[in-house]
Amino acid sequence: MKRNLTRAIPMILAMAVALSFAGACKKKPPTTTEGARPSEAPSRPNETQVSPPSSSQPPSVTSEEIPSDIAKLNTMGYLKDAFFDYNKSDLRDDARTALSANADWLKRHTNLQFLIEGHCDDRGTTEYNLALGDRRANAARDYLVSLGIDSARIRTVSYGKERPFCTEETEDCWQQNRRAHFLFTASR
Amino acid sequence: MKKHASRLSPRAVAMAFLLVSAVAAAAGAQTTPNPQTPPSPQGGVIVITGPSGRRMPVAVPPLLAPGVAALQSKVSEPFTATLRADLDYSTALLVTDARNDPSGSRDISTPEGAGRWLSTGAEILVDTRGDVAGDRVSVEARIWDLKSRKLIFGRRYSGGVSFVERIAHTLANDILKELTGQSGMFLSTIVYVSDRDGPRNKEIYAMDFDGRNPRRLTNHKSLILNPDARAGKIVFTSYVKIYPRIWIMNTDGSAQHEVSTGMELNASPALSPDGSQIAFAGSAKGNPDIYAMSASGGSPRRLTSTHALEASPDWSPTGRQILYTSDQTGSPQIWVMDAEGTGQRRMTFAGNWNDEAAWSPKGDKIAFACRNEGDFNICVMDFATGNTVQLTSEGSNDHPSWSPDGTKIVYQSRRGRGGAYQIYTMDAADGKNKRQLTTGGSNIQPVWIP
Repeated sequence: MKRNLTRAIPMILAMAVALSFAGACKKKPPTTTEGARPSEAPSRPNETQVSPPSSSQPPSVTSEEIPSDIAKLNTMGYLKDAFFDYNKSDLRDDARTALSANADWLKRHTNLQFLIEGHCDDRGTTEYNLALGDRRANAARDYLVSLGIDSARIRTVSYGKERPFCTEETEDCWQQNRRAHFLFTASR
Repeated sequence: MKKHASRLSPRAVAMAFLLVSAVAAAAGAQTTPNPQTPPSPQGGVIVITGPSGRRMPVAVPPLLAPGVAALQSKVSEPFTATLRADLDYSTALLVTDARNDPSGSRDISTPEGAGRWLSTGAEILVDTRGDVAGDRVSVEARIWDLKSRKLIFGRRYSGGVSFVERIAHTLANDILKELTGQSGMFLSTIVYVSDRDGPRNKEIYAMDFDGRNPRRLTNHKSLILNPDARAGKIVFTSYVKIYPRIWIMNTDGSAQHEVSTGMELNASPALSPDGSQIAFAGSAKGNPDIYAMSASGGSPRRLTSTHALEASPDWSPTGRQILYTSDQTGSPQIWVMDAEGTGQRRMTFAGNWNDEAAWSPKGDKIAFACRNEGDFNICVMDFATGNTVQLTSEGSNDHPSWSPDGTKIVYQSRRGRGGAYQIYTMDAADGKNKRQLTTGGSNIQPVWIP
């Protein structure tokens, strides 16, 4: 596969980030959805594997060239998910860090609209978790708006515990499922 | 399975074929209650549940169907099995072992005749005789009090041969009503959510009270959750339009349409007893509260206004109060308020997660999912005193709903980590007689309707 270098390197970095997420829950692939979720989650890259960059090449992170296809865009891992504590919807420091990075990226790509999905682990009831997922998605949205992202670009949806990223009954897996997950929905 | 929107409900079909009429009692019968008059237990004779909660032993010998031996497997066996199972399922009756039934005559007009049945431990005899003409079956039922040798009631039932189980359910309901004053639940329905037709989708299904005849009511090919059913309607949350919306339909799945709330979340819709109002968990900018609106549409009224999370409303049988879950004290607990949102007060104080409250048909008790550490269980609280009993201890158990007569609770249970949820019933008073109704896929969020 031929790629020019300025395109390949940011992709490679994105893949490395995405793969590190995927590695946290590798025993069983996350449940996918049809219809409701527009495309694959960034934790599951389905692109051709790209070899790591050689150390002699300084990584470039300033490429503004992004795929025009939304489905493909959602495999790139440009936006990081925000993770939550059990039965909580306030933002931890690591969530704020991820969301700040998202805000920086989104300010450079103002044509993209996106969805924030709220997800929960399966230790609460179905109905309660739908409400909790709503709070998580909106907590992430509110923080992005506070950092200057236009709220008109953002929609939120709660899936409660209905669309888990992994299904083991372990703390690692529960943590994977307590998240605000980002998906691009349209380019204008 | 095909689309169900146009399907006639099995009950409507059955009722069209099923005729119930009184029969003159056999010679020697002292009383023949008129089925048109309100039923009343024979004064002082029948004591069904004393302080000990004793179950009345009742003998249910096979349907006698002379001359139609060929129809034994199509009529007598399913009728008898259904009638015995129904009566034994009730919390008021105990069906005696058929192997102890005396052979020969069922004439109990003499002390000797009655004594042969009394010696088996039975106190009630359900004597049924059937006749088949063409594709129709008629059943004459006579219910005897063995001690007084008096007829409690006699009634004739008729219908298509294929509805013989339905005739047995109808008779079982009538027996319960005559003996306890309250009709049985043997023609009731349980509505629930299942992924059995595809693990990526959840749809709404209905089944008979005993788990038979499961049938799919929706075909959104999407995520559907949170059914509630009252007054001939089912409300639910559907993701068919990507974002969760509230939908309503008839209990046979017909006339499905969205009820627009103009809000986000649209979780846990609950119908008021007359079906005119929907309470639900709505969200404006990430603050889930309880709202209520007309089932025919309009603007939602906000009933709670905390900064905490509110969900899972359930209307009282009078429609004047609403139970709900709130985490405003730091953990999810059951709260109650007037239907206008006033008078909010906390109901549960034990445990760190209480949720999914369901009011009993009489309004005197509430069932809910209770948890301290570990798994959820089903608890029942006396509404007036707050006294609470825990009815389950195995696996994870939640989403309780009461049978129409208040004697049973249906709920979802998962046995073992990572297993699928299945739907169970148990006695509401003490958690006994747990029975699994579903298999195959994940089956959740049961709601019991008349």
